[in-house]
Amino acid sequence: MNDLIIGMAGSGGDGIVSAGESLISALAREGYYAILTKSFGSQIRGGESSCRLRVATAPVLNPGGTLSVAVVLNWEDFLKFGGELPVGPDTVVIYEKKTGVAPADIPLKIKPSVVMAVPMSEMAMKAAKTLQAKNNVVIGLLAGWFGFGRQAILEGIRRKFGKKGEDVLAGNEQAFAAGFEYAEQNPIGTDKRMSPPAGSGGKRIVTDGNEVCAQAALFAGCKFFGGYPITPATEIMQHLQKDIWKHGGSLLQAEDEIAGIAAAVGATYAGKKSMTATSGPGFSLKAEVLGLASVSELPLVVVNVQRGGPSTGIPTKPEQADLFAAAFSAHGDTVRPILAPISVEDMYGVTVEAFNISEEFQTPVVVLSDQEIAQRKDIIDPVDTSKFKLVDRLAPTAQELEPYVRFRFTESGISPISHPGMKGGSYLAAGIEHNESGAPTSSGEMHARMNEKRLHKMDALKNRRDLFVIEGDADAPLGLIAWGSIAGVALEAVRAARAQGLKVKVLIPKLVYPVVEEVYQDFFASVQHGLVVEQSHQGQLHRIIRMWTNVPRKFTALARSGANPITPADVLAQITQISQTLAASPALVPTA
Amino acid sequence: MSSTTADCGCPPAAPVETYTAKDFRSTLKPIWCPGCGDYGVVTGLYRALASIGRPPHEIAFVSGIGCSSRIPGYTTAYGFNTVHGRALPIAQGIKMANPDLLVLVAGGDGDGFSIGGGHVPHAIRRNLDLTYIVMDNHIYGLTKGQLSPTTPRGAKTSTSSYGSIEEPVNPLLYVLAYGCGFVAQAIPSDMDGMTKVIEEAIRYPGFSFVNIQSPCVTFGDPEDQAKVQKAKMKKLSDLGHDPANRLRAMELAQTYGTDLYTGVFYRNPNPPQTYDHYIRERQEALRPKQAAA
Repeated sequence: MNDLIIGMAGSGGDGIVSAGESLISALAREGYYAILTKSFGSQIRGGESSCRLRVATAPVLNPGGTLSVAVVLNWEDFLKFGGELPVGPDTVVIYEKKTGVAPADIPLKIKPSVVMAVPMSEMAMKAAKTLQAKNNVVIGLLAGWFGFGRQAILEGIRRKFGKKGEDVLAGNEQAFAAGFEYAEQNPIGTDKRMSPPAGSGGKRIVTDGNEVCAQAALFAGCKFFGGYPITPATEIMQHLQKDIWKHGGSLLQAEDEIAGIAAAVGATYAGKKSMTATSGPGFSLKAEVLGLASVSELPLVVVNVQRGGPSTGIPTKPEQADLFAAAFSAHGDTVRPILAPISVEDMYGVTVEAFNISEEFQTPVVVLSDQEIAQRKDIIDPVDTSKFKLVDRLAPTAQELEPYVRFRFTESGISPISHPGMKGGSYLAAGIEHNESGAPTSSGEMHARMNEKRLHKMDALKNRRDLFVIEGDADAPLGLIAWGSIAGVALEAVRAARAQGLKVKVLIPKLVYPVVEEVYQDFFASVQHGLVVEQSHQGQLHRIIRMWTNVPRKFTALARSGANPITPADVLAQITQISQTLAASPALVPTA
Repeated sequence: MSSTTADCGCPPAAPVETYTAKDFRSTLKPIWCPGCGDYGVVTGLYRALASIGRPPHEIAFVSGIGCSSRIPGYTTAYGFNTVHGRALPIAQGIKMANPDLLVLVAGGDGDGFSIGGGHVPHAIRRNLDLTYIVMDNHIYGLTKGQLSPTTPRGAKTSTSSYGSIEEPVNPLLYVLAYGCGFVAQAIPSDMDGMTKVIEEAIRYPGFSFVNIQSPCVTFGDPEDQAKVQKAKMKKLSDLGHDPANRLRAMELAQTYGTDLYTGVFYRNPNPPQTYDHYIRERQEALRPKQAAA
C-alpha cells in the first residue's frame, strides 16, 4: 500500500493525540508524507479526543475519507466522532479488549472484515507498569501490522522519554515492543503493509499552517504584529512572539481585537510591514479599522483563520463561511484582495504573496486560512524561499518630495508613500475622504475620483494568473472549483476520476477576491456541468463567482456546513454521477 | 533620548535646530466654530513643540474622530486622523514600530472616555512614551450636541431633553487610578499655563495625559465658556500642591466638575522604564550575533 488512513479515538488520558504526533514525527524521518488532524470534545482538559493520520509515499493532499485502520480505545468516545472517523468494510478495526465487546458485536453499522480485540491496557501494565504507556502499545501494533517506522519510532521514544529516567524509557520501549510482537504473532491476513518511502526524510519537517504563516511573515519582512488570542488563530501570535524581535520587530498582545488591528495600522503607517491574525468573531470587530487601512491606502496583512460560525459557532472545527465577511464587511466602495492557501505548505507562499500584494497596491489583504490548514500537522519538504521575490511599498523620490503629494493621481492609481521620520514627506493620513494632498474634503467629485483611484489600482492584480491552479482536461465538459483546505480534496477526486477515464478539470483560486472574471470565463468555455466544492452552507464562493461571471446553467455547488468533512470519495461520486448525465445527453457534449 | 538611527532615516533625536511656533502650523484652515477652545489648544501646541525642538517630520500626531480630532491636520507633523476611539492603539503601534518618533495623541472626551474608553487603561499600564491630550468640552460637538461621557448630570442635550440621569466620567481620577505617570489639566484661556503643561507632558518619559477643558461655543453650557473658566480656574501651583503626591492628586481630582484646578496633578518622581525601552532592550538582546558584527 502507498496510502494508509489511521483513525484513533479514546478519552483524554489515553494519549491518542500524542501517539499521532509521535507517529508523524517518526514517519517524517523515515521519508513518508503524512497529514495529522486532531479533534476534541469541547472540554478544556480530558473528555474524548481523536486523531486521523494519513500516511503516503507521495505528498498527501487532504486527510482523506474512510479509514484504513480504526483504533478504538473505548467505543463510547470513538462513536462520538461519527463522520470524522468513518469505517468501511475494508477498515481494519483494532480495539481495546477490556471494553468487553465481542468482535462480532462491535457497535458499528458496517461489519469490517478484520476486527482485532487487543488487551492494550494489560500489555501496557505488564511492560511499563502504567496505563500511560498504552499509546506506545498502540504505536507498536501499528508499526508491526503496517510495516513502518520501527527504527524512527524507537528513536522518537528515546528522545521523548530519555530525559525522564531509565525506568520510564525502558517501560515505554517495552510497551512498543509488546505491541510490535503482538502484531507479528497475530498477522491480520490482508496485506496492508505500507510500501517503503521513495527516499529518506532528509530535512523534511512536521508543521502546521499557523506556524508556517508566522515563518513566512517574518521571511516577507513583517516587523509588527498586533493581535488578541482567538481559536484557531492564536498560534500565529505565539510563534511570532518568540522570533519577531530577532528580526528587529515587535509584537503587541492588545487589549482587544480592535486594538490589535489598530496597532498594526499604526505600525504600517510608521513604515513597517505589519500584520494581525484572528478568526471570524475578531474579524467582525476589525472591520471598521480595515476600512481605515483601505481609505488611507496602507499596506496590511490580516489573517482570518476561519472556524464554524456565526458568533462563537464551533471554534475548533473548520468552515469556509467567512468569505462574504472578508469581501464585504467594510462599508463604502472598497475592494481588498483575499488570498486563500490550499495546504499547510501553500500557507508559506500565500502569506508572502499577501505581504507583496499589500505593499505593491497599498491595501489591506485578507488571508483566509481555515482551522484545518491552521492546526493540522503536515509533513512537508523545506520551503525553497529562493523562489520568492519580496516587494516593498513605493517610496517617493527626492523630486516627489518637493512638494510631497501623498495621494497623487497616477496612471496606475498607486502613489508613492512616505512615513513619519521621512524628511519632506509629512502628510495627513485620514479615514476621512481627502484630496490628493490628504486634506479632508466632502466634494462628491473628489470622492468619485478617489474611489476610482483606489479601485483602479487593483486592476493589475487581474493579470496574476499564477494565483490560480488549473488541472485536468482543458476541454472537459465537467469542471470543479474549490478553494482553501477543500481544494486538496477536489484535486484528489479529479485525479481519481481522470484515472478512471473521465474528462474533468478543476480550478482552484488562491486569489479568491476580487473575482477575476477572465479566468472563470476561460475555464467555463468548455464546461456544461460542474460544481463549486466548499464547506459553507450557502456556498459562498459559488455565489460570489455568480455575482461577477456568467456561470454555465448546470453549474451548482457541493456546499456543506463546516465541521462536516467533504471527502475525495464524496466528490468523486458527484463527478461520476454528473459524467453519466453528460453521457446520457450527448447533444450537450461538444463534438470537436 | 536615544541616539540610534532607525531605518526611518531619522537623524539622532537631539534638539539641535531652533523652531518657532510657525514651523508647526500647516496651511489647512481649521473648521472649528469661531471662539472654539480648540484654536487655543492648537496654538499652545505649536508653542510647546517649538520649545521641544523636534523637527515636524519626526512627530507623528494621531487623533480619533470629533471636532478636536481634526487637530493633526493643522500641524506640519505627520498626522493621522483615524477612526472614532482608536487613536491610542494606533499611536502605540506607531511608537512600537519606530520608538525614535515623538508621538502625540489627541481627541475629545467622547473619543477617549466613551467609544475608546477601553483603550485608556491599557495605554497607561503599558506605558509607551506618548502624550495624550484630551480636549474635554463635555458635549458631542461634531454631531451637534449629544450627551458625552463628561456631560454633567442633569444637563439637557439633544439626546437628554429632560436632563441627563447618569454620572459623568471623571477623566482625571480615571487615569490616576490606572497609574498614569503624568496627569495635568489646563484651559485654553490660560495660554501660558496650558503651553507649559503640554510641554511638560511631552518631556515626561512615559505615558502622559493632559485634560484640556476646551469650551464648545455652539453646544456647550453658557456657564462653561472661556471667561467663566478663567474666573473659576485655580492653579495647583498657587495652592502649593506637590505633584509627587499621588494621593493628594487623587483627592484634588475628585472635584472635577465642580472645581477647576489647572496645572500638574501628578508627576511620578521616579518614572519607570517605558515599554519602548523594553522593546529596544529585547530587540538588542535577541538580535542574531552575526548581524551585529
